[in-house]
Amino acid sequence: MDHRPQAWGRPRDDVYGAYDASYLHTDGPKTATQSPIVTGTSVIAIKFKDGVVIAADNLASYGSLARFTDVKRLRTFLSTSVVGFGGDVSDMQFLDRHLNELAIDEAYEHDIVSTGAEADQPTGSAAGQLNAANLHKYLAKLMYRRRSDFDPLWNQVLVAGFDAQAKPFLASVDLRGTTFTSPSLATGFGAMLAQPIMRRFAATEEDAARLTRDEAVNVVKECMKVLFYRDARSLDRYSIAVVTKEGVELSEDEQLEKQSWAFAERIRGYGTQVV
Amino acid sequence: MTSIGTGYDLANSIFSPDGRNFQVEYAVKAVENGGTSIGIRCKDGVVLAVEKLVTSKLLKPNANKRIATVDRHLGVVYSGMIPDGRHFIERARDEARAWRDTFKTPIATADLASRMGGYMQAYTLYQSVRPFGITAIVGGFDSAAETPVDGEVGNGPACGAGGKVAGKTHGGPFLYMIEPSGLYWGYYGAATGKGRQAAKAELEKLDLGGPGGPALTMEEAVKEAARILYVAHDDDKEFELEMTWISGADGPTKGAHHEVPKALREEAERLAKQAQEEKMEE
Amino acid sequence: MFRNNYDNDSVTFSPQGRIFQVEYAAEAVKQGSVVVGIASKTHVVLVAIKRNAEELSSYQKKLFPIDEHVAIAIAGLTSDARVLSNFMKQQCLGHRLTFGRSMPVRTLVEIIGSKAQINTQHYGKRPYGVGLLVAGVDDHGPHLFEFQPSGMTEEMVAFAIGARSQMARTYLEKNIDKFADCDREELIRHGLRALKESLVQDRELTIDNTSVGVSGVVKAEDGSSKVEPFQVYDQQDVTAWIESVADDKEGGAGTGETEAEGMEVDS
Repeated sequence: MDHRPQAWGRPRDDVYGAYDASYLHTDGPKTATQSPIVTGTSVIAIKFKDGVVIAADNLASYGSLARFTDVKRLRTFLSTSVVGFGGDVSDMQFLDRHLNELAIDEAYEHDIVSTGAEADQPTGSAAGQLNAANLHKYLAKLMYRRRSDFDPLWNQVLVAGFDAQAKPFLASVDLRGTTFTSPSLATGFGAMLAQPIMRRFAATEEDAARLTRDEAVNVVKECMKVLFYRDARSLDRYSIAVVTKEGVELSEDEQLEKQSWAFAERIRGYGTQVV
Repeated sequence: MTSIGTGYDLANSIFSPDGRNFQVEYAVKAVENGGTSIGIRCKDGVVLAVEKLVTSKLLKPNANKRIATVDRHLGVVYSGMIPDGRHFIERARDEARAWRDTFKTPIATADLASRMGGYMQAYTLYQSVRPFGITAIVGGFDSAAETPVDGEVGNGPACGAGGKVAGKTHGGPFLYMIEPSGLYWGYYGAATGKGRQAAKAELEKLDLGGPGGPALTMEEAVKEAARILYVAHDDDKEFELEMTWISGADGPTKGAHHEVPKALREEAERLAKQAQEEKMEE
Repeated sequence: MFRNNYDNDSVTFSPQGRIFQVEYAAEAVKQGSVVVGIASKTHVVLVAIKRNAEELSSYQKKLFPIDEHVAIAIAGLTSDARVLSNFMKQQCLGHRLTFGRSMPVRTLVEIIGSKAQINTQHYGKRPYGVGLLVAGVDDHGPHLFEFQPSGMTEEMVAFAIGARSQMARTYLEKNIDKFADCDREELIRHGLRALKESLVQDRELTIDNTSVGVSGVVKAEDGSSKVEPFQVYDQQDVTAWIESVADDKEGGAGTGETEAEGMEVDS
């Protein structure tokens, strides 16, 4: 029996043959994340006249396996902004912890409760605190830095909140550090499936500034339904947040309503059907 | 035995023949010149308060805070050399952050006190540094709730997390005071700075250290803290009163370290002044 | 001078708990020429007396812009101030790059406070021999901070440091209640009057020896507020202000005129 620590928990050589320990070798090229492992699918968001609506479903997939069905992919920041994460879930958790630290830093200077699992107080935007635009800039630098180190955080995130002029703010940053902003945004499959729908309602900033809160929420809910119909890595339970000047209203256990699968009958080209 | 002129007091980390480190004792002198700080561990939280002497009429009123947030649930107040205090705070913040990074959970008040006690002690060991010219009071509320592992996936098992025993209470309010030597004790009522003697005498009269633990509530403690600082205050100098508190998740601060609301502070100050006047009349 | 055993380095406490090296560093601040700072609800000004080493030499700069929204006035060792100034510039730039906003003034001041504190606790280091007045504007409005070699930083309504600055402080204390509601020009004049208090007999404010710096929050017509970037004025640009306080007419005639000229140099 081999009692050396590196053999602990490994298949026995005498039974299974020599163990391939090549991956333990520290020489050779350095490798970092090559692909995401446990993933979240789309995040979608749209601006309206008083703020931003953002949503993401509660599924974390392991490949095509629906592995975790209660993963919350929206997180509030300082009760004034919301970050939605698509992509690798462990990288999301890393970013979540990192943002937690950033929020604690903010609490040093300002006598305001910063949100998080431990403390929750609905306070509006406070002067001097990092707003969504600042937060997005920071995340963009972080993501770009990581991709330049060839060790990217495998996410695309949306940041929703307000900018320094107190106007609704919505922007995205991805694993390459690419930033983008638009009256409506979607990551992953949502970019293909939800974005065109949202653009019908808010093609321009002016359109978005005319949308009411209810309209925006309805569009987002409708998009979540479409995504559930067509994206095989999605779920009918989702989180939705409305960011306004009054703060963040986040519901984390919403259920898709009034689904209608009648359209599925007409779909041809896969499964057991023969044309 | 006097310290001056022996030569044993000219550098840090030097023992005198009777086993004292004079430089540490001198650092304590720096603390004793500073405005009074107190901390009270109550039934439902911790209250911290400090007497800020107004050294100039040109200071912006209420702008310069002396009680600092170290982590959401931790506050620190100190007496003595203020720049040293700020350095102490910075280190405490680094410790709290490092703890979160490693253990994915907030640092317990006792652990922070231990880490910072060790840090202060290290500054008594070498001739290349001087001890801290502060005594710090660390207050915190360790969450009694089942805190989720930071960033955990899903809700996890419904039963209690590791190490917790059913029926036993966990967490609660804690208070520690750390001296320039690195020595620290847990307290129900702690006082340091110029008016510590008077403050301690007043703290001892409060119902804090009884067998059932403190009977005082935070709201009562805020009023007592204000009164005590008025009692301990040297009359002819002007001062500002700064007070913070930390309750549990079900209390007014929801587990976080916060400044006492203005209305309550002013009420406490009004009562304190009133008590002062009544005492004068006697 | 009386020989003191406890004043050789900044790692030795005296039996009274004092650190003489730090106190001596504070003396170096008093060797520098006087600088004054005042903050109102909308503006913050720094004014300074510049000195020249000899008749034919140039005058030593006293006001250093740090970033769009912050500047410092220095008293003491100029070379130490330049080290701090460069450091502050880097911090502000770094903050702008990562967060896309100007750095909160208090944060900036506390960073240099911590930097200075380190020098008072380790052997082989010496405290900075310079005091600063840090003026800036952020989301909370205009601010004025004092920085001391000990690492002590405090927010002030108005303050003066440097040679004979006590006289200026007396003036500021006497008028402290007026500052909050002063407009830009009134605030500058208060600064210059405080400065004059600290001048040696038969010295005067001239365009050669006077520096003025201003920053503030300007309300735009649509109700939004914009930051007026920190601007330092020297030479002919300060003529009007010097004249306006020449015979110390308390906000007397010529206010409009001064204002107009003040605005002109702005563009």
